[in-house]
Amino acid sequence: MANAREIQNRIRSIKDTMKITKAMYMMSSMKLRRAKQKLEDTEPFFYALQEQISSILSRFPEMHHLYFDNREKDRRELVKKKGYIVITGDKGMAGAYNHNVMKKAQELAKNAEDYHMYVVGEVGRHHFAALNYPVDETFLFSANNPSIHRARVITERIVDLYNREELDEVYVIYTRMINSMKEEVEVQQLLPLKTRQFVRQELLDKVQPSEFDKETLESADDWFLIYPSPKKVLEKLVYNYVTGFIYGALVESSASEENSRMMAMQSATNNAEAMLTILSIQYNRIRQAAITQEITEVIGGAKALKKKKKLVR
Amino acid sequence: MNTFTLRIIACNRVFYDGECEILIFPGYGGQMAIMAHHESMTCSIEIGEISFRTPDGDTHVAIVSDGLINMEKNKATVLVYSAERPEEIDKFRAEAAFERAREQLKQKQSIMEYHVSSASLARAIARIKGKEKFDFH
Repeated sequence: MANAREIQNRIRSIKDTMKITKAMYMMSSMKLRRAKQKLEDTEPFFYALQEQISSILSRFPEMHHLYFDNREKDRRELVKKKGYIVITGDKGMAGAYNHNVMKKAQELAKNAEDYHMYVVGEVGRHHFAALNYPVDETFLFSANNPSIHRARVITERIVDLYNREELDEVYVIYTRMINSMKEEVEVQQLLPLKTRQFVRQELLDKVQPSEFDKETLESADDWFLIYPSPKKVLEKLVYNYVTGFIYGALVESSASEENSRMMAMQSATNNAEAMLTILSIQYNRIRQAAITQEITEVIGGAKALKKKKKLVR
Repeated sequence: MNTFTLRIIACNRVFYDGECEILIFPGYGGQMAIMAHHESMTCSIEIGEISFRTPDGDTHVAIVSDGLINMEKNKATVLVYSAERPEEIDKFRAEAAFERAREQLKQKQSIMEYHVSSASLARAIARIKGKEKFDFH
């Protein structure tokens, strides 16, 4: 059994660690509140965007275009060059948050032949660089405090690569916050866009398509004005969609990150408290044992002295 | 006057959700207006100002960044990155952004960077213009 001094040292060090985890808990709960507010503000935009895109795409004229990836040339390509935008955090200490995203990305990369990774966030960048994944070294973005400007710059880069056909498919891997207890890693294909048959099928496959949906789809071939021209609108649509989606993904991810950090710190604090209770019981026992032993020794000593005196007399 | 449902959604808030009599927005190559029962259409919106009249007769103005509008079944959805009332615009910030974008455009840039800075220049100009035109305080 450890002696009293050792246990005392242990208790002190746990108390110090607990101070840190407590402070981090407070900080991340504050950041979480802000991130959640942002998420709430963005959500209508995020969902309206996806709705609008599928509504427009379902009535888009049949055309062969780079953004649909249905040209003769694209069909002949055997290997698709894939780009993965992986959104991780800037810091660790967030439970399994970073790990889950990176695991998903590695899983996808295993099945891809030719791919490149574009990593947002310091943790993921270090991780993939250390494991020699093909990471774009110049793609440096922080995951902290997402802004529409950052999403724009990211989009500009990704769409540029896509336009130069250095990428054929673009995916984004991010964490979605379902509720404050649950978050999930999601993969979404950004480019190429889905063709209209695909979107229509998707709308029909939805659980119980309402009469309204059916009617809309049937009348979809009717006159639909696209101004100034399908090509121009398509271009804008791509920028809008990619920027909006990346912004949404950044916001969702940062809220998830703060949430999982808060939970991790909460459980760390709880664990520290549990350890402290056990250790303080142990410490008290040892102290009591030491006192008892001392008393016995003193009594024993006194008795021995008394006997000695009697004998001498 | 007939009305239609208008939703203006920016990336940080729902700017307007309700009935509207007429909506004027900067389309590709010029201003366009939409009234009730317009045909189904989709159209790109450029950086600039949009104005709409609500059934109570008030005209509202918003400075918007680029986006798309979708009209369908008497429902118009305007999706833009940002939408601000003239009185919400911080003129100093807009002017700083204007200077910054001009500075960046003077330097040698890649095409990509050029896109980004020319877009921010256009946004800054739209903000300053909107502020000066509608906000008299």
